[in-house]
Amino acid sequence: MPRRRRRLGSRVRNYVRGLLAFLFSNVGVVVLVVAYTIAGAFMFQAIEGASEMERVNNMSRERDNTAQYLWQNVTLTLNLFNETALKESISKELQHYQRKIVVAVRRGWDGGRSSRQWSFSSSFLYSLTVITTIGYGHLSPRTSWGKIMTIFYALLGMPLFLLYLSNVGELLASWFKCIYALVCLCRGCPGFSRRRVVHLRPQLEISDAESIERPPGWRSGYTDSDVTPEYRIPSRPPDYFQRRAYLRSVSMPQPYLPRPRPDVRGWSEPVYRDSSDTSDFSYVTFDAQTITVPISVCVAIMVGYLMFGSMIFGLWEKWDKLDGAYFCFISLSSIGFGDFVPGERVYTPRIETSFIVCSLYLMLGMALVAMCFNLMQEQVIHYYAGLKRALKRICRCKR
Amino acid sequence: MERQHNLHSSIHGSFRSKDSSSTVESDPREKIKDCLRKFIAFMFTQVGVGALVVCYAILGAASFMHIEKDSPDEQLENVIQWRQNCVEQLWNITNKYNVLNYTAWMSNSNKVLKDFQNNVTSAIHLGYNGRSSEDIWSFPAALMYSLSVFTMIGYGNVVPKTVWGKIVTIAYACFGIPIYVLYFCNMGKVLAKTFKWLYITAHECSRREDPLLEDGEIQPIKKKITVPSTACLWVISFYILTGTIMFGAWEKWNYLDSTYFCVISLCKIGFGDFVPGANIADSAEGSHLKLVINFIYVLLGMGLVAMCYNLMCEDVRVKVRELREDLKNCLDDITLKITVCMNDTKYYHQRQTRNIK
Repeated sequence: MPRRRRRLGSRVRNYVRGLLAFLFSNVGVVVLVVAYTIAGAFMFQAIEGASEMERVNNMSRERDNTAQYLWQNVTLTLNLFNETALKESISKELQHYQRKIVVAVRRGWDGGRSSRQWSFSSSFLYSLTVITTIGYGHLSPRTSWGKIMTIFYALLGMPLFLLYLSNVGELLASWFKCIYALVCLCRGCPGFSRRRVVHLRPQLEISDAESIERPPGWRSGYTDSDVTPEYRIPSRPPDYFQRRAYLRSVSMPQPYLPRPRPDVRGWSEPVYRDSSDTSDFSYVTFDAQTITVPISVCVAIMVGYLMFGSMIFGLWEKWDKLDGAYFCFISLSSIGFGDFVPGERVYTPRIETSFIVCSLYLMLGMALVAMCFNLMQEQVIHYYAGLKRALKRICRCKR
Repeated sequence: MERQHNLHSSIHGSFRSKDSSSTVESDPREKIKDCLRKFIAFMFTQVGVGALVVCYAILGAASFMHIEKDSPDEQLENVIQWRQNCVEQLWNITNKYNVLNYTAWMSNSNKVLKDFQNNVTSAIHLGYNGRSSEDIWSFPAALMYSLSVFTMIGYGNVVPKTVWGKIVTIAYACFGIPIYVLYFCNMGKVLAKTFKWLYITAHECSRREDPLLEDGEIQPIKKKITVPSTACLWVISFYILTGTIMFGAWEKWNYLDSTYFCVISLCKIGFGDFVPGANIADSAEGSHLKLVINFIYVLLGMGLVAMCYNLMCEDVRVKVRELREDLKNCLDDITLKITVCMNDTKYYHQRQTRNIK
């Protein structure tokens, strides 16, 4: 009785530890990124917001100057009856003025339409574009303190965001693998897996026989690991297989919990035994870690997310489909030209929400892209190993 | 990531073993074959990838120039139209209020000017640049554009306006980014190796002067030397300083602006508020050389950043391992102490109870 209680206690402690690790690894990083972005938003708002009013005043003074110039040089000096000469000089002056406007807008003047360019949400988007290295450039710091702080903010923020990407990408990849295994490969369906086991039974014996040829390190590696792969115990009823497979694929693999021997059950298993065989007994273990998602599915997900974004922004910003897709692609690949930025053209009170929607879309999309790259990398390495093996066999190269 | 690294190192290891075996056998045919193989490997790894990147950029520049050069720029026409309207209105105002009525003329013309200004700013937000598309899409600018696409910098001072330009940009990025990543990894590895070699030779030279170790009585423990991250940071800051001085002299930016530009470019953020050779007030002639040099600067800088990334990863990994070992030792120590304490107290209690008895 006391032994059982102790086991329960240890189990509870394990759960708590797992929860803490999860918090620190994933949720913690997300919270850290969001907090860092919000802090950056406040900082840039404070630094840049002060100098903004000055620029607006500057521009109106410029306009007054132009009108004054027109009055004095054109209307007063030239005669009223000389229409062509007057128009010509006015046109020249206007051209000059127009160039001034272009320069001013490039320097960050907004045309005086939206009252505050560095509102909280736009500063938020700005700091996000800094740490994600998108850098739209629709807002850029004008004061020297703003520039200095941007440099340091980027130097500190980019590693943080990389951490976020790798963590969340890995997490999403493992979740997606679970879902993929459950839904597409039907690993959880009882009938299917039973059939599969029956089908695979003859192969198991072959693989057992082959296991002698395997490198000793690998073999010893898995004999003393506590998780014995299923094909070592073929005497159990198939019901057992099915239950374990189901349990394991349902329970989420948490990448940051200490796992007994990740390289035994890991996805790179084919790399270790590249010399021996071609049988696909890696599919016998129903672990979510050994499943590789095909590249086409990853590409489909990315394209789907792009289309989703183009639809949302098309509704929201009244861009056409191509422009929306172009914007999403340029943003998610972190190129960020900044020729399309949400909330830039339509001057409505919705600007704030549209900035927030854009930030959310970006954060989620970056993580999704990281996930897809994570999955694709596995698949590519898998293919690469196979290709190398085949090439070696073709060339009869022993090395 | 680590696994990939292992894979790569295993490949390298296989190459190396091949070399050693060939020298032992010394069969002339084998030797030639090996030489050829090595040459091909070299082509594929470093020079080949660099040439590939440059070729890809030139190809992209040519195609973008071809696509975008004769795009009709409606904003340009719009602006001209607005300006003519404005002139007409000003003329009307001048006709209506005579030279005598200053205030009325001023207020009216101010209103007209404000309208004009609003129109122009909206046109600028739609991509009006003050220049026609033939001026913008010169060859160096197109080269810079394709570089900014596949390195993911995205300055945004030059953007495609036609539908085909956008589609080709997407396709170009899809193929270009993997090539660039390949370049990044390769360049990083090669530069890291060179830098490490340099560092180690310098290190050993400086150590040989040390008379204590010269005795050879106690062989110093062969410790794997990792380049400290401060050295990497020095290299990067030196590169940024070079860029700062260079661009500051050319573009007449002040040093803060030009440092800002270098950091923003090398971090791949690329706001595009400062781009060399893209000044609107500038004439077009001098800017071409600057764009090409900027191209080289950015491409080299990316390689350098990759190198530092590589070295710092290694350094951090070693440091983390050391830290973990230290922590483990510390924890072991503490647990040992605690168990000793506990045993002591137990012993003490036992003795106490015995005493009471």
